[in-house]
Order: sequence, then structure tokens, then C-alpha cells
Amino acid sequence: MLERAQANGAAPQALWRARLALGAAAQSVRLSGRSEPEAALRDIICLLRPGEQPGPAGEIAQAWRLAATRPLSDASLQRALPGLSAQQIGVWDRGGHGGPVAQAAQVIEAVLSDAPRAHLAALILGDAVLARSFGWTHLVPLLGSNLPGRELKLRGDALRLACHTALVKSVRDALALATDLTRRAVRLHSVAPKLRSKQAAIAVEMFLTRDAIAPAALVPLMSDRAARRLCDRLVGLGAVRELTGRDTFRLYGL
Amino acid sequence: MGKTRTPELDRELPDLPPELRWREWMKRIEAVLFASGAPVAREDLARVVGQGASLDLLIDDLRVDLDARPYELAKVGNGWLLRTRPAYASAIRAVADIADQALNLSDYDIAVLAAIAYHQPVSRDGLKDIFGKDISRDLIGRLSERGLIAPGPREPRRGAPYTFVTTDAFLAAFDLTSLADLPDQEQLQDAGLAQANSADQGDDAALD
Repeated sequence: MLERAQANGAAPQALWRARLALGAAAQSVRLSGRSEPEAALRDIICLLRPGEQPGPAGEIAQAWRLAATRPLSDASLQRALPGLSAQQIGVWDRGGHGGPVAQAAQVIEAVLSDAPRAHLAALILGDAVLARSFGWTHLVPLLGSNLPGRELKLRGDALRLACHTALVKSVRDALALATDLTRRAVRLHSVAPKLRSKQAAIAVEMFLTRDAIAPAALVPLMSDRAARRLCDRLVGLGAVRELTGRDTFRLYGL
Repeated sequence: MGKTRTPELDRELPDLPPELRWREWMKRIEAVLFASGAPVAREDLARVVGQGASLDLLIDDLRVDLDARPYELAKVGNGWLLRTRPAYASAIRAVADIADQALNLSDYDIAVLAAIAYHQPVSRDGLKDIFGKDISRDLIGRLSERGLIAPGPREPRRGAPYTFVTTDAFLAAFDLTSLADLPDQEQLQDAGLAQANSADQGDDAALD
């Protein structure tokens, strides 16, 4: 079913993965004993400026985002998990035995036996194994969103079962999200011709690949004012939403 | 070293027999760490050794090598640093010129630093809520001058106030490998440093 969601040309894949990554990041943040919700992580990702450090929760959010953005490779995982050695990263591509979920569970177990607190690395590599076993080009954050801490303490068959259960739940959520985003993407495409400018067309593409956009991110394309106007116009047309509910530092996305 | 233009570093050292090559890579890592005041990140250390060499094994070997020395390898955040062993602290303090390395922080400075460590990213307003009074810019300046804190993401509200986060130098100064090593609520209670009915109790209560 997920294959069909990924093969569906209308579904905004990059955006879908970015939003799943945000959900997985929020779960990893909870596993690290912190409490930042998705919205706070989105703020950090969209509003961080050069020279500012993301902080512990922001680093987790960036790790998931980097892992899910580029095509899956040693290099993409190394960028996402700079603290791991090439050998540690390499486990995702080593191939275990059993089905995709069994292999992912083995990798999660291997990472956590080595470093019991390395939940983030374990889950990102687990999802990498899953994507590779299914033959996907990109990492799709699935296990990362639904494995609570007590289940990550399990080993062997119990952990494998927990991964199966988590995956069933994650796939259901991910499919619902894909359906929702596809509907919104169709809506955005349908209003795009009304915007009548080349820059706006590029902006539309950006909305279809990113979880959220601050108007300032459009400034290379257009003036600050024009960017704000475009975002407001798209909200007016029902094509994008303002995601923060704030009056300032607004973020827009599907 | 010196004024001459640095030639491209020969990372692979193909002319050396494997054993000497491994030694040379270990020495390079030691030299880089010796010369650096701050922790050196994994990706930077990886640039002075062969492409396929396992940095972790090299580091392990180097650690064993340094067993008898008065300094040791420490892992800090995503990197490593070389530091003198605590046993030699008194000897170093007696004569060495380390005034600019000493933290010289007051108890109150440390308390603010701890608050930043636990609540990061946190703004001066957030610190004011914790301490019940304004935290001076001087104090923040002292902490950032020593490299213990850095600017974090700005808060998304009027004035976009800066927040502060701790750095790898903070981890190094307090001998922490990562922020997860900070004592948790329960450990703080056991040590008599926190009370069970503090505001951060919500999560613990939900788990019980």
C-alpha cells in the first residue's frame, strides 16, 4: 500500500517524508526526555539563522530531516548522524536475515546494545534498513514515530513484534497523511495558474517539497512583501495553511 | 608547518607498510588533538587518516597508548579532546600558566549555566522566570566568553529574543559525553538538590 502511495504521481513525496520526519523527530525528542512538540521543532527548522545553534531538540529534528530528504545512502545517513563512525553507519546496508521488519529490528537492537541511549541513531538506521529492504530510494520515517521507550528496551522476538506493531500503526497514519497531502497538493496545483508568475510557480514547488515555509525563505525569488502577499493569497485560496496560529513569525505549508 | 604553503596532506600513506601507516595515523590524531584547545569533531579527525581507516579503532589504540601518560583522550559530544588527568590538577595549578583557561565562575554563574543546560534553548526572559530576577548581560557574556554557551534559535515572538544553548566546551568542562549525562530529576532528588514537588514533575507523574 505504501508503494502505491509512493508511486502515486500526485502525492507530494518529499513533503510527505518531511512531515513524517517531523513526527518521528517529536517522538525521538520525547525519548530523549524532552518535551518540545512538533510545532516547536518546526519553528527551529524553519527559523534558525546562520550562526545559531539548533539546541538538543533542534539537532534531533535536523537529523530526521536530513535522513529523509536526500536519496538514502551512506553519505545521507552520515550527514544526519555526524556522531557515528562509517562502520556504525554501515550496519544499515549489511543485510541481516528475515524479512524487512526483522532486519530493521536486528539493527535497532544492535545499535542499542552498543549504546543504550542512542535511540535516535537506532531508529534512523532501523528506518533506513526498512527502506532498503523494500527497495525504496528514500528513507521514510515509520518506525521512528511509534516505538515508545519501553518497547525499545525489548530484545529479540519481543522487539521484532513491537516493530511489527509500530509499523502497522505508522503505515496507517502515513497513508492517511499521504491521502490528505495529495488532496491538498491537487488543490494547490489547481490554484497555481491563478498566480501568473514564474516565481510563484517555483514557490508552489517549494510548498510541495517542504513541511513548512517562512515567507523569508521565498525572498531569493521575490521581495519580502511579495512573499508575504503570496502566502496570504494562497491561504485565501484555501491552497496552503498558516501552521502556527501566530501573528508574527508565521509559517505556511500544506 | 611554517610559512610555506601547506601541500595536500597525504592521507593514505601508500608507501608505508600497514603497521607503520596505522602508527602514523594514530600520531596524526594525537598531534591534532594536542594542538587543539576545543574538542575536534569526528569528521575533522577523519580527514587526516586514510579513507577506509576506522577512526574508532585508531582512537581505541591511541587511548591504550596513552595509558601511562599524565593526559588522556576524552570523548565530548561528537568529538574528542586530549586533557590532563585529574590527578595532576594540583601540580598544574601550582606552577602552570593557565589563568586564561580557568573558568573562574561564581556559584551564581554556575547556577545560571545549569539552568541553561536543563532548559535550553532558553532566553533571558526564560531565565528570569526561573530565577525570579533579571540575569545580567554581563553574566551571560561571561558564560559565552568562555565558550560554554552559544546563541540558539531565536524565540518566535516580538523582538525575536535570542535563546542560549550549551556547547561542546560546556560538556568538556563538566566531563559530560552528552547532555543525556546531566543528572536527571531522580538523581537530583537523591542528592538532595531538588524537591519532589517541583514544576517539572508532570512527566514523572504521568509515567507512574
